[in-house]
Amino acid sequence: MALIMNVMYAKAIGITQGIIGREVNSDMWLSTVLGILQGVAVAYIVAKLMQYAPEFSMVEMAGKLIGTWAGKGIAVLIFLFFLGTFATVMVTFVYHLMDYFLPEAPTILFVVAALMVGLYGAYHGLEVMSRMAFVGVFSMLTLNILVLFGSVREMDVRNILPVMDSGLVPTLWASRHFDTDWAFAVMLIALLLPHVKRSARLARVSAVSVGLAGISIVMWPIMESTVLSAEATSQYIVACMQLARSAHIGLFLHRYEMIMIAFFATSSLIQVMMCLFCASLSASKLLGLKDYRPMLLPTGAILGAFAYWIVADHMRAMEFTAHQWPLISLPIVLGLPLVIGILYLFFKDKLKANQTPS
Amino acid sequence: MINRTMLLAVSLLMLIMSSGCLGKQEINDLAIVTAVGIDNGENNHVKLSVQIVRPADARGQTGAPSGGTGEPIYSIQATGRTIFEAARNLARFSSRRVYWAHNFVIVLGEGYARKGIADMIDFFTRNHELRMTTWVVVTPEEAGQVIATITGMEVVPGEAIDKLFRYNQIVAEAPGTNMMRLQESFLAEGTEPVLAKVQLRPRGISNKNPDQFGSLDQVVLSGAAVFEGDKMKGWLSPSEAKGLLPFIEEVDSEIMVINCPDDSNNHATLEIKSLEQRVKTRFVNNQVKVQVAQTANANLVEMGCEQPFTEIKDQMTLALKQKLENQVLKTASAAQKKYKSDIMKIGQVFHNTYPLEWKQIHSEWNRYFEKAEITVSADAKISSPVLKIQRFVKGDGLSLKSK
Repeated sequence: MALIMNVMYAKAIGITQGIIGREVNSDMWLSTVLGILQGVAVAYIVAKLMQYAPEFSMVEMAGKLIGTWAGKGIAVLIFLFFLGTFATVMVTFVYHLMDYFLPEAPTILFVVAALMVGLYGAYHGLEVMSRMAFVGVFSMLTLNILVLFGSVREMDVRNILPVMDSGLVPTLWASRHFDTDWAFAVMLIALLLPHVKRSARLARVSAVSVGLAGISIVMWPIMESTVLSAEATSQYIVACMQLARSAHIGLFLHRYEMIMIAFFATSSLIQVMMCLFCASLSASKLLGLKDYRPMLLPTGAILGAFAYWIVADHMRAMEFTAHQWPLISLPIVLGLPLVIGILYLFFKDKLKANQTPS
Repeated sequence: MINRTMLLAVSLLMLIMSSGCLGKQEINDLAIVTAVGIDNGENNHVKLSVQIVRPADARGQTGAPSGGTGEPIYSIQATGRTIFEAARNLARFSSRRVYWAHNFVIVLGEGYARKGIADMIDFFTRNHELRMTTWVVVTPEEAGQVIATITGMEVVPGEAIDKLFRYNQIVAEAPGTNMMRLQESFLAEGTEPVLAKVQLRPRGISNKNPDQFGSLDQVVLSGAAVFEGDKMKGWLSPSEAKGLLPFIEEVDSEIMVINCPDDSNNHATLEIKSLEQRVKTRFVNNQVKVQVAQTANANLVEMGCEQPFTEIKDQMTLALKQKLENQVLKTASAAQKKYKSDIMKIGQVFHNTYPLEWKQIHSEWNRYFEKAEITVSADAKISSPVLKIQRFVKGDGLSLKSK
């Protein structure tokens, strides 16, 4: 649950909201709510599907259903999914730290530092990352409370009215940007089910996790719209930092975004770890390896190089995150479970014949 | 073995990366800006004045401390084609790096504000160092002169203006306009920016020459500057600014002086403790109708009337209601007739009430605003005469029974 909440959070509160704001203005919070509802439904359906063969991940399931090469094809797709996800995670991580705190530091420094921490966490495995994710959830809640205390006096509810001003269809369409955030969580569910002990409750837990993450996220577009105004929010690449640097508690506690960024970074680094872990896992399935660890360094090198190329240019990064990535990630995250589900209907006897995962 | 090699490699890498502090800024290398003034320069240039605090001299003691100059601030000026160029030009003679993060106030000269402030908003909201809570004001004087004027009890003028804003709510004659609110009103449809006005007035009395009243200029915060888009259109008087405040921010307190019912030469003072305002719009026959309803709760804080308070309370309440209504109508008249600029956020209320109609008329909203029919109804209550029931009159028994 903690892992799912963490992987959705960091990008969704800032970068995503700025992008949604540019499309639907003050309906950004509504678009996020619609995205949450879609996320809850998809997470539930995917987890239910995975429960038909809880000992297999999605790659293994595809392999058993239609053959090894098809399984490898699915592994490539999942690897590409995490390659793109890692780029958007790094856009979030790097621009928060570099643009607001260390503008003179070279971009490569942030990419290398995130990779080092990410590889360290991924190397120690899922249990260590899960424990870390509990700290991440604490960080998310603390960050939410800090920004709420610092902004509540500046809120003007008139800024989010009228509701659905942009119309239902544009608001729903804009939710695709938030969908890319829960897409990471759904992929996680599809890959990690064999590692979960009490998989029987997974569908409900997955849906609840996405819902809880959504609740902690939706506070941000509401605050960004009511405090900064939707028009101002949509001007910025990292909208949440604009809110954070405007926050103040009373007269004496100003500019505490340095404290907030520490909590944010904890959650963001868990995204980095999970990306590296999942990409290495799919790479190991592709090469037929039993352990994912030998793939960590090469995967880190590929993901790091691609992410560096993306974040080195702000305009390229935003073009990729806002325009290209939703069109790549959503077909993968919605299409894969659909294809596997259809295959399962036709070849479920074949799957049941296999007792152990490959 | 592999683990040890990995550990060694990672340790070395971390050592290399930790050996330098990229982007470090030593505090004694910084010129900490506490106020910025922007005026028009020659040849279409921007004249940027900054007030830099001298930490050694700004510790609150009088006279020159050891190693100090006795001057708590260091004011410098540079010009450039853009604000950023002017800021960089400061480095030609500033011995320290100009640091914006502790800036209290941005003062805009009237000429500069009339020319357009879009580039100023962009520069200061794009800059990660600046606080979004920095106050932004307009002055009819030279902005550079305003930021160099020591006001009040503070040794740093920027801090003095900051505190003027902090306690301005008890006077309620100028809006509390910071960069966040300015950016919001500048970008939003259905509202126009309005900024507080500061000016230099001879209000200070020199301790050395107390007989020369007004020998010291002080920065006075009162009134407001009206904008349309990014260009300033004119000024609101203190009373017009007072009427504007409930439309754009929460009013904590303000005072109302009313004439005594029996004698217009004598006055009573009421302190408004709470003022709630509701604005409703209607769209009838292609005309916008605005209903403003105010509910005020006031205390009697000074009684100059001869008659007992209990006898004239109703008349005073009526006078307060009329005063509140007139105040709003005066502001509305200035906004609609004089400046034709919706500084009262009426467009925002209309947009929230009539979203479909708004889409059709928003591009020509100022025309609709100009012709809008604004009606005001105030409901007032004088709930307390504070410590005394009635005015002290020599020889009177001071009891309710006697009246």
